[in-house]
Amino acid sequence: MTAGAGTGRIAGQARNDGVGGLGELAFVFDGSLEGLLSAVFVAYAEKLDPCDIVRPENLQPRLGQAVREVATDIERALRVQKGICKNCGPSVFEAVKAASLSDDPDIGTVVYRFLRYALEKNSPRDCAACRNRARCGGLCTREHARSVLSDLVHPSVEPFVAAHRAVYNERHRIMQFLRFEQVEGGVWFAQCNPKASVVPLIMDWFASRFNTQAFMVYDEAHRLAGVYEGREWYLVKTDLVAVPERTPDELVMQQAWKRFYRTIAVESRYNPELRRQFMPKRLWKNIVEMQEDLPASTAIRRSR
Amino acid sequence: MDLIEKLEILTDAAKYDVACTSSGIDRDAQKGKLGSTVAAGICHSFAADGRCITLLKVLQTNVCVYDCVYCVNRCSNEIARAAFKPRELADLTIGFYRRNYIEGLFLSSGVIASPDYTTELMVETLRILRDEYQFRGYIHAKAVPGASPELVGVLGHLADRMSVNMELPSQDSLRLLAPEKSKQDILRPMRQIKDSIAEDKDTRALMKRGTHYLYAKRPAKKSRAFVPAGQSTQMIVGASPESDYHILRLSASLYQNLALKRVFFSAYLPVNHDARLPAGDAVQLDREHRLYQADWLLRFYEFDVDEIITPEHPFLDPALDPKANWALNNLDSFPVEVNTAPYEMLLRVPGIGVRGAKLILRARRSATLREGEIRKLGVAYKRARFFITCNGSYAGTGVGLSREGLRAQLAAPIQGGRHGRRADRALPGQMSLFESAGAPTSRLFGSGRAPALAPAAAAAGAGGGDLDGEERCTGRIAGQARNDGVGGLGAAGWDSGTTQAGLWVKPAMTVEA
Repeated sequence: MTAGAGTGRIAGQARNDGVGGLGELAFVFDGSLEGLLSAVFVAYAEKLDPCDIVRPENLQPRLGQAVREVATDIERALRVQKGICKNCGPSVFEAVKAASLSDDPDIGTVVYRFLRYALEKNSPRDCAACRNRARCGGLCTREHARSVLSDLVHPSVEPFVAAHRAVYNERHRIMQFLRFEQVEGGVWFAQCNPKASVVPLIMDWFASRFNTQAFMVYDEAHRLAGVYEGREWYLVKTDLVAVPERTPDELVMQQAWKRFYRTIAVESRYNPELRRQFMPKRLWKNIVEMQEDLPASTAIRRSR
Repeated sequence: MDLIEKLEILTDAAKYDVACTSSGIDRDAQKGKLGSTVAAGICHSFAADGRCITLLKVLQTNVCVYDCVYCVNRCSNEIARAAFKPRELADLTIGFYRRNYIEGLFLSSGVIASPDYTTELMVETLRILRDEYQFRGYIHAKAVPGASPELVGVLGHLADRMSVNMELPSQDSLRLLAPEKSKQDILRPMRQIKDSIAEDKDTRALMKRGTHYLYAKRPAKKSRAFVPAGQSTQMIVGASPESDYHILRLSASLYQNLALKRVFFSAYLPVNHDARLPAGDAVQLDREHRLYQADWLLRFYEFDVDEIITPEHPFLDPALDPKANWALNNLDSFPVEVNTAPYEMLLRVPGIGVRGAKLILRARRSATLREGEIRKLGVAYKRARFFITCNGSYAGTGVGLSREGLRAQLAAPIQGGRHGRRADRALPGQMSLFESAGAPTSRLFGSGRAPALAPAAAAAGAGGGDLDGEERCTGRIAGQARNDGVGGLGAAGWDSGTTQAGLWVKPAMTVEA
């Protein structure tokens, strides 16, 4: 990272390019993490300061705002990754990765504002005296004693931390409420509809916990599947998943579980508001014991 | 009797047990073995009563030789009886676990034949899980009162957490309502578990440091730690006349002397009819709620039991939470300045919790906190503003720092939901238009805050983001199998999906040469 590396220092001088009446600029990226980092790269390399970085479907140009599409470039994204790690430490990059999974229409801008602040605040590490130099491959592994993530009330950091936290909350819900089914062929299948694209964040968890079973987690809201076949997991973008028939044993287990669920509740403590608070209704259609509680129209799970 | 019927009977018999936590131990997954645990615990479902379901909570059997007055399973009750065979129960646990329904097993039991025989059945179940299935998930086992210490020892090495029920908060109540159990019977296994945990911990610490000389004697197979997640207990509140003062003193001494991880309270629910039990169906759920709040103050807020409750006022205020009550009794310590106050003092401010206090500590190192900043930090500012100053300015004006004024601001009834037995209740002090006409009024005034501390339920924070910005899809999975020789997912039938590579692959793979 040479030419673009020092870009963190230029933040203060970032200017707009004067296109459009009010000199405002919006970047459109493809919604992926790589696309977002490419947009950040362009902003630094061309000394631009876009006030919006959005996905195409969220684009609403302001009055006189120039719009520019930023092509996704994996090489540039990797350079930005190195720059973030070198300036702010790997944990900040991990946070950027997670926050960018959010469905918030503003997430691109939020991450960009945060990165501007973070890169300006921390100067790049000097690698000359670093012992890890030979091994790190350009991705710095040293943490800052005072992370920018601790500047909780800074206007650039606060929305970022909130988005990051929301993504992790959603991840936790999926860890709680994901339900696997055994299907023919010795495979386990689970479907979910989270509010953020959290499948990349949960695969490590399930792949280690259930390392004895091949499984697939399908996120129907983001059309993304995480697949584990016994070694490494990987992600597949897909429209349609053809799932084989459930095994006969599966139906018995589901019935047993539903019966257990009905029985365990204490009638004299009945409190459905509390339950709904902990287990949001939007997730019920993929929670096996809750499907019966839904109105008939929404209970159709998926066409087999 | 088929398995599902049996499960229903034995679940129904176990549901009054309160403890259903999977917390206290981190155990990573191992290749080739099923399961892991995480110290915070994970709730996998929530029943219609709002209580979390994290473990498969069942009895080994609901046959019982005892005749405890308050218990559903007392031998004089005429109910259906059943028992799990150890293998049956182990299979069911594994089946549920692999579907991500549960974190593990909560195994309790009625006393069949003798306490020792019952414990042997439980040990066999856990042995199948741990040894045959290599199960690394969470197991909570209940010690049967009267079982021999050796068997309790074996059980403890297989379980993660153990508990012995106190049942009732005093010896007298125990004599009246659970005539076959005595205080000594209950405390003896608790002491044994505590001592064994301490001993096991010491031994392990020494082994780890290598301070012994006999390396050859190290066992080839690693032995399982004894009850690594600690022990807990539960007691019934409201079946006997003990005061909150008595109950909280007892639980504080249990934390101190027996190193318990949790003391659970269970509002007495009438399931049996007996002259010795309290009449009517007044369930003291609100009282249970306040006791849990006080319990949280003991465990997470560094409160001493004497600060929470005194013998002069032996019951907790039903209209005011115990922390606000303490603050009102100690107004001379307030207001505190959020930019300088120590952590212990921030914890004592009503409206600031453990998370809020920690965030304040982090945030104030780089910025001065004023009202706007405090509001962003997960603090209930509406309550906290009477007790804090932000950079010198006090926002609780208009009420005055007096006991009566603040009490009116902070008093809040416990929200018990809009259904069930806690619903029909008007807020105190609120006028009703229709009261004189004799019409039901209270349903109008149902909504409000949800209880802050639901027992044994992990709070999940609010999610963010809207449901838009779905990614357009590229790949398509057809019905055909990809024959890649792996078996497994080949049969699930994917075709040419585009693999999303890039930054989500393992870090090692993105490193450039």
